[in-house]
Amino acid sequence: MNALRADVAVAWQIARKDALAELRGRQAAGSTIFFAGLVLLLFGFALGPDSRRLTEAAPGLLWLAIVFGSLLTVARLHQLEADDGALEELARYPIERHAIFLGKALSGFAAVLVLGGLLLPLVAILYGIDLAAAWPALLATLVLGAIGISAVGTFYAGVTVRMRAREVMLPLLMLPIIAPLLLAAVKATSAALLGDPLGDLGAWLQLLTAFDIVMLAAGAVTYGYLLEE
Amino acid sequence: MPQTTIYAAPRTREQTPPPAVATHQLARLFGRSAALAGVSMRVETGSTVALLGPNGAGKTTLLRILATSLRPTFGSAEVGQVDVASHPELVRPRVAYLSHATALYDDLTAAENLAFAAAMRGLGSPSVGARAALDEVGLTLDADRRAGAFSAGMRRRLALGRLLLGTPSLVLLDEPHAALDADGMLLVDRLMERWRAERVTVVVASHQAERVLQLADGWASLESGLLVSAGGTGVSVLDDAPAGVPAAAVRA
Repeated sequence: MNALRADVAVAWQIARKDALAELRGRQAAGSTIFFAGLVLLLFGFALGPDSRRLTEAAPGLLWLAIVFGSLLTVARLHQLEADDGALEELARYPIERHAIFLGKALSGFAAVLVLGGLLLPLVAILYGIDLAAAWPALLATLVLGAIGISAVGTFYAGVTVRMRAREVMLPLLMLPIIAPLLLAAVKATSAALLGDPLGDLGAWLQLLTAFDIVMLAAGAVTYGYLLEE
Repeated sequence: MPQTTIYAAPRTREQTPPPAVATHQLARLFGRSAALAGVSMRVETGSTVALLGPNGAGKTTLLRILATSLRPTFGSAEVGQVDVASHPELVRPRVAYLSHATALYDDLTAAENLAFAAAMRGLGSPSVGARAALDEVGLTLDADRRAGAFSAGMRRRLALGRLLLGTPSLVLLDEPHAALDADGMLLVDRLMERWRAERVTVVVASHQAERVLQLADGWASLESGLLVSAGGTGVSVLDDAPAGVPAAAVRA
């Protein structure tokens, strides 16, 4: 029990440190949000003014924008550690490796959640969608999606952080793995927005939950190996 | 009259205290080139030992292995009789390491950087420990400034402050005088003298041979990944096997 408490405390300290750095480096965080918003806007231009088409495409475009923005976010959260040998220092502290993973994943989760939270109303405005009735289901989808993206992103950011071509390698490795998450999140968002006519919202949320559990467990077990040289 | 039998206690060899550091045929390859090529040495507890040698001699690699940042390719290294490769989790609480990189977070203040390090080391009051360490390295007035705004020398002082958190039994210093002004160099000297007085083992790699030799009990000299000589007290070469990694593994 004490060990668990210590791990949670370490993860919290790491996430808190990342949040402080992220809030103070507002320029980088602001750029990510601006980029994701721009993606939504450009998709809207590409699809044209047909409002029915925009409404149908909105869940997919929302999650693509969240995923693209998240790629930048998780990479930046790891770059914080790599810039001046901080990751090596972090690995030298007498702390559990899975606590480091959970801390980085927690800060990634918070960042993705904020990004999704800002993009949702933007989607509503740009694509003319009414979120009012669907918000509890949308929030659940966003939380579960953010957990999965941050778990996968934290692991692969750890894999690529020492690579020269990390900017290219991170999306190449991460995007195929989160394909099931993307599918489930888009389907769950569609179901939520349409009032769940087929009654399959619960099943998609269950798939998201299972994905999150598997990725968190796999990341926690294997992340330590990434810290070794 | 009852006979008294006197049993003589068995003769024992004089007990030698366990070493702070012992390496046996320690080798580390990067690709096919050997940064360390079979180093066997022993550093006595409480001694201060200077690691000398030209660039590329293997000093940093040796320190990084002892600090658990690198795994040996061949051979073994022990800190306080614990193998660094098989039980790094037992070694980490005992070791404080000043590396080339300062490992600071630019967007955090000096106090926040040290408080984070103190929390990671499991100290009870991270903020209090951080302020005390900042005071010792002469950064009290800059405690609330972001590390990103610091000069190279101030960053080095802040990294030195991190060594003062907790109670390590082994301090590893890699070029501790680098980037520091005269006051900063004196600060390093003072800290080394303090650790020596407290019987904390210090292994310091430096190109400032004259300076560190004044503070060290002994020295060991590395060249091309091999320990070529050692002198003074507190350090000795272990004659446990011929030096060198398997020739096939090393680029000719």
